[in-house]
Amino acid sequence: MTEATDLAARAGDRDPRVGLRAVAALRRLLEQLESVQVRSARNQGWSWQEIAAELGVSRQAVHKKHGRN
Amino acid sequence: MFERFTTDARGVVIGAVEHASRAGSPVVTEEHLLLALLDREGGKAAFALTSLGVTDRRAEVVEALAAARRRGGMSKADEDALAGLGISVEEIVARVEETHGPGALAGTERGKAWPSGRPSFTKGSKKVLEKSLRMALARKQKHIGDEHLLLALAAMPGMAGEVLAEFGGTYGGVERVLFGVGG
Repeated sequence: MTEATDLAARAGDRDPRVGLRAVAALRRLLEQLESVQVRSARNQGWSWQEIAAELGVSRQAVHKKHGRN
Repeated sequence: MFERFTTDARGVVIGAVEHASRAGSPVVTEEHLLLALLDREGGKAAFALTSLGVTDRRAEVVEALAAARRRGGMSKADEDALAGLGISVEEIVARVEETHGPGALAGTERGKAWPSGRPSFTKGSKKVLEKSLRMALARKQKHIGDEHLLLALAAMPGMAGEVLAEFGGTYGGVERVLFGVGG
């Protein structure tokens, strides 16, 4: 019971703004992390194909998104 | 649109480009616009920023911008929102920097300089310029002044506007000191 109320209080926030904001922030963080990891993989000589396979997207998609560097 | 810019507003745009160049950035971001606004003296934006107490805390603003950039453009509000999900941005930044070096999450702003080497405006900073026009039109003002740029920046979501708000430069606050209650 306490655990449930605790959880409710934390995720809470019936105010959708809080939840939406967290999603938006998470998405932004994800983009930054992806770009750091892709850059690092490229620096280590990974091909776009290999990177795409790990990310679960097409080679074209990853190249289009990160190919400029 | 630029023909409508007052001398003060042009000064902000030029100042932002200079801030970007000095920082070695290929692009002019909203952060550079904010820094340029903070540099103003004597105009309406300067009046608003001084009245709201932002000018006096310029050094802290600069520091907060740098910290947000290090967190990958994450504002304090973003950080709090993620903390609500049990995610510590600070910890993630620390780990990423441990592996990939200091500032690894920062400076991934997209865009390229012009072939001349002059920094280009990002999508976000262009939006601020466009919004400043709307801010002027909404008040039936023919010219775009630096105060409209400040209002636009304060009204936009994003790191610069949020840092500005953190130091008292909220949209409502700016509107109040410039135009009185209710704009």
